[in-house]
Amino acid sequence: MNTSHSVDVLVVGGGATGAAAAYDLARRGMRPLLVEQLDLSTGTSGRYHGLLHSGGRYAGRDLETAAECIVENQVLRRIAPFAIEDTGGLFVATPDDPADFPERWLAGCRTAGIPTESITAAQARTQEPALTPRIAAAYRVPDGSCDSFDLIHAFVEATRALGGDALIYHRVRDLIREGDAVVGAHLEDTRTGERRTVSAACVLNAAGPWAGVVAGLAGLDVQIKFDRGAMIAMNTRWVNTIVNRLRPADDGDILVPVGTVCVLGTTSVHTDHPDDYRIEAWEVSKILSEADVVVPGIRHGRALRAWAGVRPLYEPPEAGHDDVEGREVKRTFSVIDHAQRDGVRGLVTVVGGKLTTCRLMAEQAVDVVAAQLGNEARCTTAGEPLPGPHAPRYHQLGGRLHKLEHGELPGELICECEMVTRAQLEAAIDAYGDQPVALDDLRRDLRLGMGPCQAGFCSYRAAGILQQKKGHTGPDTVEAFGAFVDERFRGVRPLLWGHQLRQMYLDELIYRRTLGLDQLVEQPTEEPAHA
Amino acid sequence: MPENPRANIPPGAGTDVIVIGAGLAGLMAAVQATQAGARVRVIANGWGQQIVSPGWISVCDRAADDVIAEVRGYAAIHPDHPYALAEDDAMVRGIEAFRNIAQKNGQPYDMRDKDGHNLRLMTALGAIQRPMLAPRGMANGDLTGVGGPVLLVGFTGWRDFFPALAIDNLRAAGVEARAVCIDLPAEQSSTWDLWPGDVARLFDGADFRAAVSGRIKPHAKDAVMVGLPAVLGLENPVEALADLSEQIGAPVFEIPTLPPSMAGVRLSNALRRWLMRHRARVQVGHPVVRGVVANGRCTHVEVGALGHTNPFYADQFILATGGLYNGGILSDETGRLWEPLFDLPVATPPGDGREGWYGERLLQERGHPIHRLAGLRANKQMQPLGQDGGPALENVYVVGHLLAGFNPLTDGCAEGIALATAYKAVQTALQLDE
Repeated sequence: MNTSHSVDVLVVGGGATGAAAAYDLARRGMRPLLVEQLDLSTGTSGRYHGLLHSGGRYAGRDLETAAECIVENQVLRRIAPFAIEDTGGLFVATPDDPADFPERWLAGCRTAGIPTESITAAQARTQEPALTPRIAAAYRVPDGSCDSFDLIHAFVEATRALGGDALIYHRVRDLIREGDAVVGAHLEDTRTGERRTVSAACVLNAAGPWAGVVAGLAGLDVQIKFDRGAMIAMNTRWVNTIVNRLRPADDGDILVPVGTVCVLGTTSVHTDHPDDYRIEAWEVSKILSEADVVVPGIRHGRALRAWAGVRPLYEPPEAGHDDVEGREVKRTFSVIDHAQRDGVRGLVTVVGGKLTTCRLMAEQAVDVVAAQLGNEARCTTAGEPLPGPHAPRYHQLGGRLHKLEHGELPGELICECEMVTRAQLEAAIDAYGDQPVALDDLRRDLRLGMGPCQAGFCSYRAAGILQQKKGHTGPDTVEAFGAFVDERFRGVRPLLWGHQLRQMYLDELIYRRTLGLDQLVEQPTEEPAHA
Repeated sequence: MPENPRANIPPGAGTDVIVIGAGLAGLMAAVQATQAGARVRVIANGWGQQIVSPGWISVCDRAADDVIAEVRGYAAIHPDHPYALAEDDAMVRGIEAFRNIAQKNGQPYDMRDKDGHNLRLMTALGAIQRPMLAPRGMANGDLTGVGGPVLLVGFTGWRDFFPALAIDNLRAAGVEARAVCIDLPAEQSSTWDLWPGDVARLFDGADFRAAVSGRIKPHAKDAVMVGLPAVLGLENPVEALADLSEQIGAPVFEIPTLPPSMAGVRLSNALRRWLMRHRARVQVGHPVVRGVVANGRCTHVEVGALGHTNPFYADQFILATGGLYNGGILSDETGRLWEPLFDLPVATPPGDGREGWYGERLLQERGHPIHRLAGLRANKQMQPLGQDGGPALENVYVVGHLLAGFNPLTDGCAEGIALATAYKAVQTALQLDE
């Protein structure tokens, strides 16, 4: 089946930049269609540590990014308060860190406009008792933590409310070129194989690490540098303030309290692939040992899950820095007007940047699109709050437990770690209508299976409910169950020692011995047979 | 200040055997040592893996016909396997001892006595597991020769059992089945966090059972048997089962569901009560933190208490602390594996650090190397081996999952090894052979 329709702008990429751009376009009266090859926020934006930058992290060497961050930090707090927790941030130096750095860093913060407050070691430890007593310098900055899932969903919901639309699990197979113009795209539903043609006056390429691939579909060359970073979620909030190491940026510099966990990050490893999510053993050791310097004992805590994201770094060729990699590449972003650069109208690429600056990236990219389309409306995304709860929304288990115990949250507890009830699960399944829904989609919607047991208990329950709701056959349900088990295992595999190894043993026991799931799913042979 | 007359008596004085661990292997070692006349003390951090296991006894799940013969054949060509260390006599007698003590305490475990083949039991997903014996409630569900129709009954809204999930997969295995959900009689005040134990306690009540049976009966007309989640009572499962079967009018069987396992809880309770009635001490909740060794023998163990440790003395020590799951072996991020009480040498998978521990997919065939290869090595007396290959300690014996050489998750022999090695360890510790 091949359906076709027409929109003003096709936005490629359901991450923060694409979602913000779709929203911006809709506000300026251009009808957007957002297309995402997987689910929303499954790429770099979802594989993220949750840090809403004050810009302090870039004040040492990349003042342009630092200045952008502090401005956009304030904007996002204003327009999306529901996605942000005002944790505040600390920059902490130990006596082993370069003694001359804080002064340089302070100067950078001043230039970039980042407010800092010098505090004593005692004040820092009063605020965060888990910090090391070995503190040489400490400063407060306006960091925050940000739920990228909530932010992106809010952008997309607002886009829909303004007449735009979004298609998930749709891949761009081809960009359609007519002479020197891109005029649309062929899309394919990755789940059903169904194809459709979309004609668009302009295509906005916000595909992050895949931006080079998308530009390539129009025969154009955009060279992205892929930079892999690993993160580890610890099972409790070891700190309630974001803690940054005050030293030249290096591996394992940040601790970010997000929701119920504390995310430790990160590394910076050059890779050749946009979807290289490997985590090497040295990265895990490095992140834990660096975090342990700032918060002693944290390496013996329970690590729940690890993941990696790929930063799409881009240096315009005219900058002449072909040989720099990783942390040397600036975190600024670029908007490429292919009409100017390549003489091809109807395609604009936006690449680089940070989640914190997603709105600004969208604004500047949409400015270029608007100019091509002759739209003269001005960007208004910084001015007005996104629809959504106007108070900060914390994912606090205490609050959910209170509701459960007082009958305000109906239904049985299905995911005990994250306190997800049957009623919530059923509502989330209903929201997909006739569309296929995977257990992993429900995880992103509800945090199902994201706690300490990593779905050992709730995956069976959720599979049972999914079957009841959708009327799936047994084999289909088992397949969905098996896929969720595989997905959850990928994230704990780098962390299997101590507590989490024991947890996975229990999960494996439930799946294999109690349920016999291994007999029912297709199995690859891994270990060579021996006695 | 009045003098405490007990101050100079070492705790545990007069104890012949200390068993460290309260899993299946530890409890059965304690039972058999007590039966042999020894004064026994069980010290455990918590109950063992029976609390989270389905409840049946896997001896050699893959055996197509005679289970014991299959194990004998396997042990003959794998001399390092725990079955070979314990020897087949120990396996047969260990199973016998287990069935006897369980039966005597109201927990009958049934097997196919006619042919000695494995049972064919369904899981909640409709897969078929093949353990050798099972608690009566589960063994009643032996599908050997059964084509159906089998009725599966769930409880409306109960999160731990979804009978419809099993239907299609059972059909693929040649068993016709139907699923139905009934409303539980409203006895429980809150249903949002109903654990298997909560439901099991309801089934201890005769009136509750009668009410449930009344709701099931209309659905059970042509069913050859009726399967329910394994929560049919805690205190007297035989009576509950007989009651339900009679009132429904078809044999009732139990299907294991998510942990905690009621079969494991019933068994643990029954064995603990038996031990205490026979003057053995059972202390669960404070861990042994260290074994103290002099001249190649363990003199005593130190047990953690608030801010200090208490010493417990005995002549013989049976180490039943479990494997990586139960804390008998610990691991860290660098790939170190260690036995925390005596620092006994631990066999480890080859390779650097944690590199060789896990494969890429959780449910890959044969499981993960770490669970087969990590553990203690022992000799045929069940004494742990030291670096030199000789016994590391004269009066310490190793049983159950702590032993290397088998994967309890994939090899289908976890409980069989617990029973065989517990039997063998007691034989050698108390020199009962001679």
